[in-house]
Amino acid sequence: MSGDGPAGLPPASRSALEPWPDTVRWQPISRDLIWVELIRLGIGLAVALVVLGVAWALAGHWLLGAAVGGALLLGVWRAITIVRAVRAWGYAERDDDLLVRHGLLVRRLSIVPYSRMQFVDVSAGPLERAFDLATVQLHTAAAASDARVPGLRPAEASRLRDRLTALGEDRAEGL
Amino acid sequence: MSDRSDSGAPPPSEDRPGPAQSPAPEQSPVQGQPGPGQPGPGQPANGHPWPPAPGYGPPAAPPVPGPLGYVPAPGYGPPPGPDAAPGPWPAPLPPYPGPWGPAAGPPPGGAEPRQRLHPLSPALHGAKSLVVVIAGLSWSTLSRVGFGWFAVLVTVFVLGATVLSVVSWWNTGYHLVGRELRVYEGLLWRRTRAIPLERLQAVEVVRPLLAQLTGLAELRLEVVGGGKTEAPLAYLSVAEATALRQRLLAVAGRCAPGPAPSAEPGAPAAPVPEGRRVHAVRNQDLLVSQLLTPQAFLLPVGLVFVGAQFLSEGSWSFIAVASTLTAMAGVVLQPIRRVLDDWSFRLDRDDGTLRVHNGLLETRMQTVPLHRVQTVRATWPLLWRMKGWLRLRLEVAGYSAGEVEDRNRPDRLLPVGDAETGVLVVAEVLPGVRLDALPATAPPSRARWLRPLSRKVVGAGLDEQVFVARSGLLTRQVTLVPYARIQSVRVTRGPVQRLLRLATVHADTAGGAGAAAVHRDLADAWELAAELTERSRAARRTDDDS
Repeated sequence: MSGDGPAGLPPASRSALEPWPDTVRWQPISRDLIWVELIRLGIGLAVALVVLGVAWALAGHWLLGAAVGGALLLGVWRAITIVRAVRAWGYAERDDDLLVRHGLLVRRLSIVPYSRMQFVDVSAGPLERAFDLATVQLHTAAAASDARVPGLRPAEASRLRDRLTALGEDRAEGL
Repeated sequence: MSDRSDSGAPPPSEDRPGPAQSPAPEQSPVQGQPGPGQPGPGQPANGHPWPPAPGYGPPAAPPVPGPLGYVPAPGYGPPPGPDAAPGPWPAPLPPYPGPWGPAAGPPPGGAEPRQRLHPLSPALHGAKSLVVVIAGLSWSTLSRVGFGWFAVLVTVFVLGATVLSVVSWWNTGYHLVGRELRVYEGLLWRRTRAIPLERLQAVEVVRPLLAQLTGLAELRLEVVGGGKTEAPLAYLSVAEATALRQRLLAVAGRCAPGPAPSAEPGAPAAPVPEGRRVHAVRNQDLLVSQLLTPQAFLLPVGLVFVGAQFLSEGSWSFIAVASTLTAMAGVVLQPIRRVLDDWSFRLDRDDGTLRVHNGLLETRMQTVPLHRVQTVRATWPLLWRMKGWLRLRLEVAGYSAGEVEDRNRPDRLLPVGDAETGVLVVAEVLPGVRLDALPATAPPSRARWLRPLSRKVVGAGLDEQVFVARSGLLTRQVTLVPYARIQSVRVTRGPVQRLLRLATVHADTAGGAGAAAVHRDLADAWELAAELTERSRAARRTDDDS
């Protein structure tokens, strides 16, 4: 965790480089999302391994064996990054806009004014539901805007949704 | 071709009133209520009203007789005189005439009866499909089956297309309800599309060559969120299309936040005269500008290549020549098409809206409310620099980024012009912005690791009203995004960028790619993002107040 990103760090440590994004009070997302993502990864990895393993057993080519090993390595590396990526995810509600930041390799920060909101999605897949999580996504007229906050408790998700829609109505201009 | 289709379904002309009569008793009481401000139970303005179509009746009534019951000349004929009159709009009818009509009742807010498109539309669609069919069958088919069979094939396909378009014409209707335009279409899968006019971004009247010959026009509406141009009403008579465009814009403008956002400092307070000419492009310049494109330069090379190929083979079969020419046409024709498209390009300003008029064979008249302009992009192609020319484009929300072919992206603001013209046009579209005096600073010198050649060329800056982003080494480009149009701001930092303490700031707009300040110093980038957010909020406020 330490040094892997600005997520959980105290503002002071990076404030020289990032004057304002760290003065914002960032809300972390639920750590349970790590499990959701890990299970998702595990399922994908299991399918890939079974396919590759069967192919290896049938064909017996050494390249397929290498592919199995590669898939395993990739899975382990991905598992480590998932933990860090979830910790790096954060959002903040300011007076006029929603800030979302995420990403490890490519760090992204989105600033979306409430007034630009076209609609809000709250979604929860079966895995997320099992861990009592939900995802809130804010859509604007621009396709490039990305303001997605995964790993919220349902109560927090609906609170955020209600707040977003209320603020959006207040400040609505459409385009 | 259309004649054949007409004769292919020759129902007696009495057939037509047949289905229309049965629901008539229901229609008459409704017609008895004159709408507010409506001149009584008149005929629908375009002379081809939406009859209580059997298709909308109970499922027992088969919709098939309807389409086949299409009678070309007697019922409709060429557009009669009343066609030209924009009014009088007839008394309101329920939006769903037919057995379910009374239950629905006339909607509040002055509805009008559903109207059909012009009866010549299917014929035009059929004729248009001729080209597609021939292209689809291709030269090799022609060589394989011989000319006679080829003609038969083409005829069959075109006839099929025409019959389909007759069916679709019969089931297509539109009308204006309150602040919505409703478009009905589909035979098996009914679709009713309601277009809220406050979301209207631009209106375009397109007249392909055939439509020009027959006095018709296609009306296209651009709406936010549409994957493609929404609701193309093809075809209407010119008068109808013009009148409908006026009404749509009037309705759309009523709830818009003022015709032109932000007061123009330079412009006089007096109302602008109707349809003031801003600029007209000289066709001569257009021709020269298209000769100065890579394609035009490559054309002789291509011709020599093809000629050499045939000379070396010594055989000149018709098919081979035709195929090669067809293949070359795709590339070579682009400059020619641009010339045809942008011929006699005129830009008018009409009280808060911008009117672009262009085209030789296919004329287009595009109307964009000024406050709908999301982005203005100026481009200086490499070969044009010797002339000092530039091209201007504008982005309106609704032109999907997916339509790569620029023919379908009616985003021209200036196909070619010198620097002064560019300044003039930009000042007209974005008041208070001077194209020749835009602030833009290059990224710090360590960005050369990421942009070894173009570091000095890219840049970004904050003008009074717009965010400026510069890019392009060979084809220089400047993107202007008004602060009020920024949808969201993003800051991204890739791995190398983080190593170099750089960041890219994106300003996203609805439609189009937005603008990006690439490889800024990190502290600069954060400040820029904050400043963009702040300025766009302030700009939206003033927009609201005005």
